Amino acid sequence: MINQETMPARVTRILFLGVWLIITVFPLYWIIVTSFKTPGAIFSYPLTYWPEVFSIENYVGLFEKAQFGTYILNSLLISTVAAIFATLISMLSAYVLARFDFRTKGALLMAFLVTQMIPSFIALGPLYLMMVQLKLVDNKFGLILIYIAVCIPFSTVMLRGFFANVPDALEEAAMIDGCSRIGALFRVIVPVMKPGIVAAFIFNFVNCWNELFLSVTLMNRDSNKTIPTALNGFISSYNIDWGSMSAAAVLTIIPTMVLFAFASKYIVQGLTAGAVKG
Amino acid sequence: MAIRKSFAGLGLGLTAALALSGCSADAGDGSVTLQMVESLTNPARTEVLKGLIADFEEENPDITVELVSPPTDQADQKIQQMLQAGSGVDVVEVRDITVGPFSTNGWLADMSDELEDWDGWANLTENATKYAKNADGETFYVPYGFYGLSLFYRTDLVEDAGFDGPPASWEDLLEQATALQDPAKNQFGYAFRGGTNANSNVVVAIEAYVADQIDEENAFKLTNGDTIFSAPEAKDALETYFDLFEEASPPSSVAWGYPEMVEGFSNGSTAFLLQDPEVIATVEQSDAITAEQWSTAPLLVGPSGKAIQPMATAGWGTAEASEHKEEAAKLIAFLSEGDAATTFAEKNSLVPILKDAAESEFYKTGAWASYVTMNEDPETWISAVQPRDSSWWTEWIQKSDSEVQQVLIGDMTQDELLESWDAYWTDKWKTE
Amino acid sequence: MTRSQTPPVERPSTTAGAPAGQDNGLRAGSRRTFTLRKGLSILAFLSPALIFVAIFIYYPMIQGSQMAFRNWNLNNLTDTAWVGFGNFEKIFADPVFYTVLGNTLVWVIGSIIPQFILGFAIALWLRRKFPFRGLYQALIFFPWAISGFLIGILFRWMFNSEFGVVNDLLAKVGLIDTPIPWLADPSTAMLAVTIANVWYGVTFFAIMILAALQSVPDELFEAAALDGAGKVRMLFQITIPYIRTTLALTVLLRVIWIFNFPDIIWAMTGGGPANQTHIVTTWMISTTQRGDYGVASALGLIIVAILMVFSAFYLVAIREKKDVLS
Repeated sequence: MINQETMPARVTRILFLGVWLIITVFPLYWIIVTSFKTPGAIFSYPLTYWPEVFSIENYVGLFEKAQFGTYILNSLLISTVAAIFATLISMLSAYVLARFDFRTKGALLMAFLVTQMIPSFIALGPLYLMMVQLKLVDNKFGLILIYIAVCIPFSTVMLRGFFANVPDALEEAAMIDGCSRIGALFRVIVPVMKPGIVAAFIFNFVNCWNELFLSVTLMNRDSNKTIPTALNGFISSYNIDWGSMSAAAVLTIIPTMVLFAFASKYIVQGLTAGAVKG
Repeated sequence: MAIRKSFAGLGLGLTAALALSGCSADAGDGSVTLQMVESLTNPARTEVLKGLIADFEEENPDITVELVSPPTDQADQKIQQMLQAGSGVDVVEVRDITVGPFSTNGWLADMSDELEDWDGWANLTENATKYAKNADGETFYVPYGFYGLSLFYRTDLVEDAGFDGPPASWEDLLEQATALQDPAKNQFGYAFRGGTNANSNVVVAIEAYVADQIDEENAFKLTNGDTIFSAPEAKDALETYFDLFEEASPPSSVAWGYPEMVEGFSNGSTAFLLQDPEVIATVEQSDAITAEQWSTAPLLVGPSGKAIQPMATAGWGTAEASEHKEEAAKLIAFLSEGDAATTFAEKNSLVPILKDAAESEFYKTGAWASYVTMNEDPETWISAVQPRDSSWWTEWIQKSDSEVQQVLIGDMTQDELLESWDAYWTDKWKTE
Repeated sequence: MTRSQTPPVERPSTTAGAPAGQDNGLRAGSRRTFTLRKGLSILAFLSPALIFVAIFIYYPMIQGSQMAFRNWNLNNLTDTAWVGFGNFEKIFADPVFYTVLGNTLVWVIGSIIPQFILGFAIALWLRRKFPFRGLYQALIFFPWAISGFLIGILFRWMFNSEFGVVNDLLAKVGLIDTPIPWLADPSTAMLAVTIANVWYGVTFFAIMILAALQSVPDELFEAAALDGAGKVRMLFQITIPYIRTTLALTVLLRVIWIFNFPDIIWAMTGGGPANQTHIVTTWMISTTQRGDYGVASALGLIIVAILMVFSAFYLVAIREKKDVLS
């Protein structure tokens, strides 16, 4: 099937993918163009689809006025560490949920799903108090701990699917060779599932990267702020600083796009490899 | 085995974090660190504030101030968490709409004692003093400035259309804005507010129409004790106001909030805008209209020739949980007097809190002139206090905004709106 | 130890669900061989996840849920008496609640169906290799890189009727004469916020389905092609049944997320005009904004209840309960 494509089918495919690309990328284009406009030119009418004067003023301002470099580093650090640990921990729990059968399993999975349903503000007050008592407010490590917890349920459910489809025979063989169960997990199964794990990592990373609510509540000092907090800082009660915000958004998108570009192969292969072929 | 290791790792990590995080503790040499949290944050203002803090720290070498600047949309929620937990905040930005709840909950300290001997009191304007000392003589915050409305207008368009000058009354505005409206050319008369806070301008219009019967202590009350929404003049006000929408405003302004209104004026497509002085700085940046093309005029009056200036304000207060109330009060006093207060008000386009600031050149020129005009004639532009500190104020905003939109999209009549608002406040005052 | 003698893939299996045969095998085996050692292994492997989720999510969540049964109003916290189900009664007595429920239904269905169809189409068409496919994927994944709130603000300006780029482009290509007041008109506001959400969410479906599609063995298609099956028939008779569990689980997760996703609407309309775009979660936010955390928390619990009931029915309806949840 994959090798036969009629001409009309080919045209439809190219047309569809082309149109979708334009629809998706247009807002990105708009952000980029806005980021290079001067403040006055942003508020102009009729709309200009191409700036008359290219200005890098907005970008310069980000690093001069706001410590944008610090924010990016913070976000990179916090998201990466949280995503790595969340993925590791989820691998363990997902492994059990896929390989063992026990009475509370269904309830456990439902408990993980419920975390996706409950609005976060309900937990915010008690969480903040707890973090104050643990002296983890305004502390990167504290935010990382919470992000790990937030990422675990979804990635457990997701990784469980991959494990379920890796043949038992693999670890059986490893365990006969004298590996413990955890040894079998890390030495034998993980390499097979590497792509799937990358996909889970990406999901976790992006979730942390975009998280605003907890970050605003728990971080105080400029040196601890993350990107979403900085981006929202450009929205004041009476104005939106479009130039700075667009420039900041562009800088925010770049790292994640690079990550996607590297990982897009893994995401596809990852979910694939988890699924078939024993 | 490996499991045990990973647990050990987790435990170690936690311990390390606990040890590392003992931040902002006092160094033990008598020096004090104050945490100061902003609410109406914007990057430019934060910078001004940091500069003033640096001056303060220079004068008081044993006090360090850590400024916390959360994004404004999330700020009040963060402040609530901090105050409720009694942690991480000494000096806090208090708004006229948050002072009620915050003080009721016992989160704010009464600063009367600390500020008793402050010599800055003498130079505060009457309004500033009124807000800094509440009816019970408590000082929960000292305002840093006031927001007041004036009419931004396009001098060139008004002149081209053959009018002598800017509109003085709501009726004038309706006439001029209608004349300037030309949707085909994307030229609109009035930057109508239909989105967030739509109610505020409706109320301002109603207040102008009942200005000579209003209770100055409660701008929603008539001198006879009824609500302003029950007065027959309120109906006239609404008629004019909603005609403005029908005849002279962009159709999509049902959804316009602050940013859209300001952009509409700044990009040259709307001729009139009723706004706070903060907007001056934004409009000055515009490439689309030059300084010669716009100016401001005093707030529009009603048929009685008077208007009510709705005063909105915010200021600095001290958290009840603060262990450094003395130093906090010192910082607040510093910000509320002399150069610091003037700089803050000028840089942020606020109506100043200091008597002598109003004399400065800054407030007499350009777009600020209309504020001076209003200031000098308190008989015409009466300042009356809106009940913004009621605990149901945000509930009121949500209800009234939604109902203004219902009128705009034809789901509610103007009379129904007035009846609903009248009933709401009558009811609230009964239970008060 | 437990393990299955059943060959791993006998029936169509997917990324998300365990192959049914294997699952049954495991179940049978486990009953026989439940030992202390196994119990300890399970506990050991699960405990990091459970500890994190229990401490940082469940403990604060359960603590916070008290608010739903108390008079918890930030405007006055001096009296936070227990009120039983009083907050819930207030919600059920408010006519806006039912408008909001209706809006939520429109929002979820209106978002999920186009997201699913578009995501499916993109996934199908992305199976075939073409030059720069990797770049193409990275580009169409870009909406993910920004938070929903910013997407909302961006779309609010693009849908602005006078200065927005949507109307400008529509006018340029001659589709409209007068600007459409997208966000101001109740009949178009929901459409506009839904369009933004569809734009935002297609990517998720595209990735999940694309991945699942790659698990369909080519041999199956070859066999079907030999039988002379048409493309459309292949899609419905082979492809969709094969990846059914993934589709089901993806849709379930998306429904939960979209239901709970106020960011775009909040930024674009704030629930207006006149509550016409309020969904349950934006309505909840505005409730917290006027300080009534008691009612807002009660609303939060109602949301959880609705979604749990929905999930249960959904899982029964697709008769995959075992695969997905056990």
